[in-house]
Amino acid sequence: MEIITANIWYFVGSFVFIIIGVLVFLYIGKDEQVKELTTLVEKLKKSFNDLDEQAKLIVKTDLELNKAQEELDKRLNGLDALQNTSQLISTSLNENEIFAKLDQTFLMDIGFEKTLILQYDKNKALYDRSEIGFTPKEKAAILDHLRNDSELIKLLENGKTISSENSTKLQKDTIIRTFNVMHYIFNPIMTTDGMVGLIFVGNSAATSSITEGDEELISILATQIAQALDNARLFEEVYRSRQALESKVQSRTIELKSALDEVKNISKTKSEFISAVSHELRTPLTSIKGYASILMAGKLGEVPENVKLRLAKINTHSDNLVNLINELLDISRIESGRVEMKFNQCDISRMIENVHDLLTPQLKDKKINWVTDIAPDVPTLLLDSSHYERVFINLISNAIKFTPEDGTISISASLKDDMVTVCVSDTGIGISEQDIKRLFDEFYRVENKINQNVKGTGLGLALAKKIVEAHKGRIWITSEIGKGTTFHFTIPA
Amino acid sequence: MATFIGIGFSKDYDQHKAARDAAFYAKTNLAKDRIDFAIIFCTVHYDTKIIFPVINQVLGNTKTVGCSTAGIILSDSVQTRGISVLAYTSDEVKSGTGFFKDITPENTQEAGFNFAKNTVADFGRHARQLMFFMVNSHLKNPLLFLKSMQEVLGSVFPIVGAGSCDDFQFTKSYEIYQNQAIKNSATGLLLGGHVAVGIGGHHGWRPLGKPHIIHKTTGNIINTIDGKKAVSLYENYFEEESAELLSTKLGQTVIFYPLGIYSAESNEYLLRNATQILPDGSIVCQGAIPQGVKVHLMIGNKDSCKYAAEEAARDAKNNLGPKEAKLVLVISSMARLKLLGRNAYQEIKRVRNVFGEHVPIFGMYSNGEICPFKTRTSIHRPHLQNESIVVVALS
Repeated sequence: MEIITANIWYFVGSFVFIIIGVLVFLYIGKDEQVKELTTLVEKLKKSFNDLDEQAKLIVKTDLELNKAQEELDKRLNGLDALQNTSQLISTSLNENEIFAKLDQTFLMDIGFEKTLILQYDKNKALYDRSEIGFTPKEKAAILDHLRNDSELIKLLENGKTISSENSTKLQKDTIIRTFNVMHYIFNPIMTTDGMVGLIFVGNSAATSSITEGDEELISILATQIAQALDNARLFEEVYRSRQALESKVQSRTIELKSALDEVKNISKTKSEFISAVSHELRTPLTSIKGYASILMAGKLGEVPENVKLRLAKINTHSDNLVNLINELLDISRIESGRVEMKFNQCDISRMIENVHDLLTPQLKDKKINWVTDIAPDVPTLLLDSSHYERVFINLISNAIKFTPEDGTISISASLKDDMVTVCVSDTGIGISEQDIKRLFDEFYRVENKINQNVKGTGLGLALAKKIVEAHKGRIWITSEIGKGTTFHFTIPA
Repeated sequence: MATFIGIGFSKDYDQHKAARDAAFYAKTNLAKDRIDFAIIFCTVHYDTKIIFPVINQVLGNTKTVGCSTAGIILSDSVQTRGISVLAYTSDEVKSGTGFFKDITPENTQEAGFNFAKNTVADFGRHARQLMFFMVNSHLKNPLLFLKSMQEVLGSVFPIVGAGSCDDFQFTKSYEIYQNQAIKNSATGLLLGGHVAVGIGGHHGWRPLGKPHIIHKTTGNIINTIDGKKAVSLYENYFEEESAELLSTKLGQTVIFYPLGIYSAESNEYLLRNATQILPDGSIVCQGAIPQGVKVHLMIGNKDSCKYAAEEAARDAKNNLGPKEAKLVLVISSMARLKLLGRNAYQEIKRVRNVFGEHVPIFGMYSNGEICPFKTRTSIHRPHLQNESIVVVALS
């Protein structure tokens, strides 16, 4: 029984021991699980906290982005408005038109609750040009304030921008009270003549503070307005000058026209006078020359030698006088249009040859070389041959007169653009620039030794010019002192 | 048997001209003598005493409802200044308007109930399809207002609501009824008859950071979160900028980061904006948040906004069924206007792409939106949301 009891106790003891062992084992295992779970919870907590730290960063970035976006949007809206205004006012050349375009729609678009654009009048008093957000009573109070706030105006006149960000406390308080805004910008409108007005913008909400972008925007706007005003003023000046100039030109044109009419009248009178006088002179001259010839021929009895000599002089001078009168008559006829040109097809080479034949004795006397170069494409020309021969005779005679012995006279003719250009060149003494200018004037003779010795009427070149022009051509001279002279003239082909 | 819609808009600075033009264009585009009702949305730049007599003169004694807004949504643009008028007339669609003024925290329940009753009374005995109403966003407990409306209209009846708002100053909003602007009121329109309605609403905001437990609430006031004063949640996330943001720009900043409550029913987060911070650090929200729920700080971006707009439009179109939309009403949160900025029209364009260019779009930006949000079941109960876009398609 004892053994049995002992065995029972042994078994019970063993069982209890095993149970305790199992319990201890289980306890140890659970504790590890709890520890694992606690670690996991800690990790999760840390992850959440990390997540929250990241969230803070995201919020911070998002706040910055939103702020930047808001500023960007505001600036873009302002720039849009500026661009539109710039296009509008840059095409305006009238001061009133410029301000009319800065209307309320535009002022709204630049993004401020209150905007006021003021300009100086002739008496340098500010008056409003455009505004939004102010009642007439507020506007009157503001203008009154600005008239008395010389310090503010002085700062603006010095080109300074004043905003709620850079004002003194006293200044800010006054402006906030007067303009009924919390944030504001004053920007002067500075033209080349200095300040001509100012722009005021403001927001009454405490949260709508002024940014650097706002200040830049208003500054650009003020510059644009100033430039537009400058342009308008310049245009006004140019316009007025042009008006004055046009008026002057008109009055001068009238004067010139009247002078021209007078000159034409005088010229006509002169031509008529010359024509009349020439006629009156030619008749007695013919008689003088006739009687001189009779006396010289001895038809009225033998005349002594010394008388003959005098009579020959009378004859020669009479001839000169007749030539002079004839040339004068021709000029006057051509000028007055009374001469009738008889145009027919002429071969200019032949005409030059004829003149050459006529003047060969003089050429030979001075041993002058004669060169002609007539281009083969020069066609026959529609000319009054008797008149044009005189042009050649006059020009070539002149050339002979002023070309020294063994010199050369060249005649060339070429065709270009339906116009034949003829050049008569010599290797003579040349003509000064001053003389060239007056060479075609009637009775003008260049003062040189040759002219002092050789008589001339001073009408040859004037007549040549009249004939060339009567054929719708042009005549001009090129010359180099000591080297020679070339007369150029054109004939329509 | 036809429905005619005319929309007019003007942003002229001249208040008379703006009011006259908006009303005149709406009437002209309607091309009908009779106007069943008109909806007016107006930014706060205009003096209501000047513009409404002018609108009334042009539209005659038309039933008008509307409210002030931060922005006007049109088919081809979003405008942050202006007056828009929608004139509507139909032989098929029945309409009734209602109004309740002087809403206070004390009479909110009674106000909601009477407002709905007034509207139903004006509507008459026809088949009801949609209640669209606008209420002042300063209403302390819009959910209570909604619940009492539902006592009249039914708890699953489609109700779309918008909180009137202003130019982000949160001080000037008003509601419009019969060409009068009245603060602290509700105004609305009940539509029915032969008209199909499709509604879609989404926000596109996503949770950010760890969840927080709403520890103690009093109605729509959150006293403590995670055992700390409620405002510490924002202080924690905004860090050094919190003092400035929470003191001066609360409304403008916090609307970007509402609190989100996960709703298993809709698989979406219900968003709640903080509208006020009380001296003891409690946060006042537009809608109530139950005690003990987990909330997240929420964040959205431009892409998520645009995507949500498209989803809302698709839902509205699908819910409309086989019928063609003749008008699309859009109520979008002012937070979205702020977030999208110059690109605000992009989300409206997404809506337009869904319905096609020929369907006129008319809408406003709101401070708080109510609509039946998508749920897993076929029952779509109206909820108060923030930061969301609500698209209503009418056949």
